Amino acid sequence: MTSGTGGHNGQKRYVREPAKRVFASELRETRLQFKDGDDEKSPVYVMLPTGERSNRIFFCGQMTQKERKGDENPFYTARVSDPTGLFFINAGSYQQEAMLKISQIEQGAYVSVVGKPIVRETPDGSVFVSVRVENISETDLETTKIWIDDTAESTLNRLLIFGETEDSKKAGEFYNTDLNVFRKMAYDALVRTEI
Amino acid sequence: MDIDPQVTERISRKLEEKGALVDCERIEAKLNLLVKDFGIPVEEAERTVTNEFIRELKLTNSGSNRDNPDVMKIADTNPGDWVTVEGKVVSLQTPPSPSMAQAGIISDDSGAVRFVVWEKANATLLEENKWYRFESATIDEYRGSPSMKVHSGTTITEIDEDRPLMPVPISLSDLKPGVATVHVKVVQDWEPRHERMFQTGILGDETATTKFVTWKDNNNQKLEEGKVYNIYYAGVDEYQGRYSLNLTGAMFLEDEGAEIEISGGKTTITGAIINLGPGSGLIKRCPVDGCNRVLNRQNFCPLHEIQDKFRYDLRITGVLDNGSAATNILIQREEAEKITGITLEKAIEIAENNPLGLEDVFIKMQDILIGRYFQCRGNDMEGTLLVKNCELISFDPQKHTGLINRASEQDTGVDL
Repeated sequence: MTSGTGGHNGQKRYVREPAKRVFASELRETRLQFKDGDDEKSPVYVMLPTGERSNRIFFCGQMTQKERKGDENPFYTARVSDPTGLFFINAGSYQQEAMLKISQIEQGAYVSVVGKPIVRETPDGSVFVSVRVENISETDLETTKIWIDDTAESTLNRLLIFGETEDSKKAGEFYNTDLNVFRKMAYDALVRTEI
Repeated sequence: MDIDPQVTERISRKLEEKGALVDCERIEAKLNLLVKDFGIPVEEAERTVTNEFIRELKLTNSGSNRDNPDVMKIADTNPGDWVTVEGKVVSLQTPPSPSMAQAGIISDDSGAVRFVVWEKANATLLEENKWYRFESATIDEYRGSPSMKVHSGTTITEIDEDRPLMPVPISLSDLKPGVATVHVKVVQDWEPRHERMFQTGILGDETATTKFVTWKDNNNQKLEEGKVYNIYYAGVDEYQGRYSLNLTGAMFLEDEGAEIEISGGKTTITGAIINLGPGSGLIKRCPVDGCNRVLNRQNFCPLHEIQDKFRYDLRITGVLDNGSAATNILIQREEAEKITGITLEKAIEIAENNPLGLEDVFIKMQDILIGRYFQCRGNDMEGTLLVKNCELISFDPQKHTGLINRASEQDTGVDL
């Protein structure tokens, strides 16, 4: 919740970045990407429109449109759908294990994914948000339903403190966030889930 | 600022008690020099000037009795102080450096402090369990803990009397760097990770759990897991904001038949397992008595080299992430078997009949655990949750309905 000060709070101990819960349609709106610190290894974050920085995300859904691309440097791309939209995932030679997993998982299967969100501008000037997979595994509908609740709750929590944290103020300035859009997104995701 | 004439008078009176009359102007001149020209605090200057005259006039402090107001209680001393204390040497340790003649702990009825006698102090050797008066010792800080230094300017006088001393145990949640007496249960006995380490593990009481370590010494005693002890004068060290107890040289007595309800299983985290560490799955442990270290692929123990008669064990190390924090978790065999459905026997069978060996067990566990939601309960130890109980989470229709209500009601200024 207080990730606004996370990452540079003077602690020497290495703190693993938590995997934020975010719906596909919010990630798709994400544009602001920044580096926290001047060091080569400083973490790169994206600023979610609901006001939290994120360097890692976790999501669940059905995997579709799996494709193997590249000849000399093969990599995989696929889509993962949640009730709000699509996540575009990819794994290349630097994510050997993730690539192997994607190659083994059949299309249409429910998956859980951990990865790094990346905002990239395409040559034609449009913006594309994808996720570089760190870990992917075949799970089930049950897990996906728990994730939808988890993510709706996290989203509502972010909306609740929007404007109170440094990061959410920045997000508000950058995106001019309409909180109601994201409240409705969470609501729709929830009601589309069968009990 | 003029110096309070009372200070001058106090010094004068003190010297008079010792049989010397000193001109007040001389005292004032010395005080002025220290306070005005050197900016030394008045209290400090008062002590310095008094001591200077005592030395100059060859007066001794020996005439002073125990009620001497100069004697400080150990609990009242602070780093930076010059002190005179009277205490009992309750523990002596092998000094870690040749520049130290002795190292140990002294205690009075208010508390205890670690001390070091410098080799250069040329002091008489202190004996354990005897009382001494230390005049003009200094208190400084070593790795965050107060420590009393006996140097060449310190006078040590043996006190020929055994005064009653009853150390008061404190709760683990109240630990602060220094020395402490505790009443605890040995919660876990770990494999020492270092040659010089005699024993390490976790101690607990009703309030908290704490890591402990005993370094190898001439008279090491081993604590037994599950038993309750009174541990007298353990060192409290701080490392990265966490406290641990150093039992080297500490004395302990088993509190037979006692039971302590350990604070624990207090931390509960619900989240997704998003990563498994390479030390997960089927592991091999060193069979040497009391070692238990994890062997590498070549069956190599860092201490006992190649061990072909290893013992198999099952465990999970990983990361449980709840969206706002990622927590390292460590799950031992019993719970690991429960949540993966793979028993130790089955894991051994898989490993021995498969070309990938141990790796295959690891992959199977990854497939079962990663990306799924679990609730883990246990003790937080140095940032790792030692999991006592772990359950797979299932979808909760009630929570779901609650969230729908919240999403439709949460005030964002506009109705849905």
